Amino acid sequence: MMPFFEQLAGNLVYGAILGSVYGLSTMGLSLIFGVLRIVNVGHGPFIMLGAFTAFWMFTLFGIAPVISISVALVLGLALGFVVFFAVIKRLINAPELSTLLATFAIGIFLEEVAKFIWGPDHRGYSWDIGSIDLSITLIPYSKILAFISSIVIAYLLYMWFQKTKLGAAVRAVVEDSEGAAACGINVGRIYALSFAIGIGLTVASGVLVTLFVPVGINPYMGHEYTLKAFVIAVLGGLASPWGAFYAGFIFGLIENGSYTLLGTIPGVEPFSLTRFVAFSLLLVILLIKPTGLLGGESK
Amino acid sequence: MRIAKFGLLLALIVGLAFLGCAQQEQPKATPTPTPAATPEEKIPDKILIGGTLSLTGKYSKEGQMSLWGIQAAIKWVNDVHGGVNVGGKKVKLEFKYYDDESKKEAVQSLVERLITSDNAMFLLAPYSSGLTLAGAPIADKHKVLYMSHGGASDRIFEQGYAYVVQTLSPASEYMAPFLDMVKAVDPSAKKVAMVYEDSEFSKAVFAGARKHAEELGFEIVLEKTYPKNPTDLTPLLSEVKAASPDIIIGGGHFADGQLLASQMADLKLDAKAISILVAPALPKFYEALGTKAEGICAPGQWEVGVTYGPEAAKKSGIDYFGPSQDEFLNLFHEFAGKDTMPSYHAAEAAAAILAYAKAIEEANSLDTDKIRNTMNDLRFMTFFGEWKIDPATGKQIGHKMVIFQWQGGEKKIIWPPSAANAEPYYPIPTWDEKAAGKLAKK
Repeated sequence: MMPFFEQLAGNLVYGAILGSVYGLSTMGLSLIFGVLRIVNVGHGPFIMLGAFTAFWMFTLFGIAPVISISVALVLGLALGFVVFFAVIKRLINAPELSTLLATFAIGIFLEEVAKFIWGPDHRGYSWDIGSIDLSITLIPYSKILAFISSIVIAYLLYMWFQKTKLGAAVRAVVEDSEGAAACGINVGRIYALSFAIGIGLTVASGVLVTLFVPVGINPYMGHEYTLKAFVIAVLGGLASPWGAFYAGFIFGLIENGSYTLLGTIPGVEPFSLTRFVAFSLLLVILLIKPTGLLGGESK
Repeated sequence: MRIAKFGLLLALIVGLAFLGCAQQEQPKATPTPTPAATPEEKIPDKILIGGTLSLTGKYSKEGQMSLWGIQAAIKWVNDVHGGVNVGGKKVKLEFKYYDDESKKEAVQSLVERLITSDNAMFLLAPYSSGLTLAGAPIADKHKVLYMSHGGASDRIFEQGYAYVVQTLSPASEYMAPFLDMVKAVDPSAKKVAMVYEDSEFSKAVFAGARKHAEELGFEIVLEKTYPKNPTDLTPLLSEVKAASPDIIIGGGHFADGQLLASQMADLKLDAKAISILVAPALPKFYEALGTKAEGICAPGQWEVGVTYGPEAAKKSGIDYFGPSQDEFLNLFHEFAGKDTMPSYHAAEAAAAILAYAKAIEEANSLDTDKIRNTMNDLRFMTFFGEWKIDPATGKQIGHKMVIFQWQGGEKKIIWPPSAANAEPYYPIPTWDEKAAGKLAKK
């Protein structure tokens, strides 16, 4: 019985770490949807850019991936502004299909450019800083750093939203963009800023993804995260970045925790069922609370 | 009106059912000997080989390697060999390909297009068992030879296709030599854990491995699969650790194999020997994992440095066809650039082209059935190894796998002893020893 609980506890610890990474990687998606009402279907490729940022900073300059988080954030912000003014700005009130197609195209464009420049190889780096023995399981410090960084970034964003004037302006636009404009808020500028922050967060989360799994960095790595990010975003209430963060946690815990529980059923391949369980739970939660965990009234 | 419609529908269903039965009654398409091609079989000026390649998507790496291999082999056939000798003519090969984006749907429509609109006379399958299987029924329906150079699953050859043949070793043979090696080096090793991707290819590999392990007297202490594209394997690996196996075999494709090794290191999941499919075969594996990759083995279809050549062919009493390994390397570099070394994906794709050329020459005809029949008795060697198929299924039975191991940053061939350029390093260093800088090198 003991090994069962040990494994369960170990998996939950890993699940929590993975969940924090999932959470942060989804916040950008939720923020962009919340403010601009645009679903960024090309979400995953931005995560890929972050992963490559960490990889190249480490491989070329020996810079620790934790430091690359800020580099990725800045790069992401810049890229976010470029993409906003080049593409998104024209689509603010466009039909949904146009924005879906445009963001999808941006995603493919980024992937193919990445493949053109860096090739299709699965790369990885080895940043060994030891690990901590929790007796139930071993956790590399790099993963713990991913966990802490993701919480710190989420908290900083929260503070920015709640305590600064700009943050308040973003919240006002989310609430009612016309009202915000009437109050003298430059809605266009808030759109640009929110989109850039959303992309910045997403690119930064790519670095965290590599802290959790430092291998498999390739142009198409974003797909897996896109799918999960959508589920997590819906679970968290779609327009709520904080909801997304909590939902990410829950998703990670369920995905990893259910493994041990499912393993006790004889004749079952637990791993293939974990995703089934995670997605089923999504259905159940949405049945009970259709607006998602932290979603307010549906609009 | 309604009754009339219903009646029409019923008639249609009955009609279709009859049609289905009629089709079933037709003799199965087996390569029965066709009457000898007319003496004046018209030999065209070029032989068009068609194929789909995964140049984008998740198999783009393997697809690109295949393309370079194919181009090198075609260059050899056309420029060095002077063309394919058929009907007293030297006919050049031409290769027409499309990017299948690593997608099954694309493979199906592109294979159809290659046959019906481009009039390809022979086909090369794409990389991976799943994609190969997707195109096989289309090729077989049109009675066009479809050669697998990257689809190893045994299931491809258990569907009764008459025109699908294989150049690489089938999946069921992949892990066998590794288990043979462990048995030979350490007869006391007993417990084997198997963790592999839930995919066409790896399921076939590990079904073969399980059978072979049991024959050798190993005990399978754990056998678990994981879905495609996993992001975290720690739950599974914690379970493996609890089972404390002597030997771990696993993997599927490149990304998950890399993840497997990386997370084994995270959990310090030690074993006396580890063999992972596909991933350790590529240099990127070592670049990504560094010394963590030390001692890890992988089965391979081929590796630069294997000793297949005219000498070896002579020893086995069979013909040698195609470029020598050095010639192939030179041709390969012309397409891939000086710094890129061919992986086995390139070699097996090249071997498929050579097998077509050889079979056409032996059959002295371009008639598909005639060539397929000739293939049944064909046995020869290329730089990739032996080529001989099982006449009934088209499965490759001549070619043998090699096992390599990362030793001191170099990929060494350690098994079978006849092909080896290094001794097996066993047991491999633990993860702690590797972190301290120990290499799997004597």
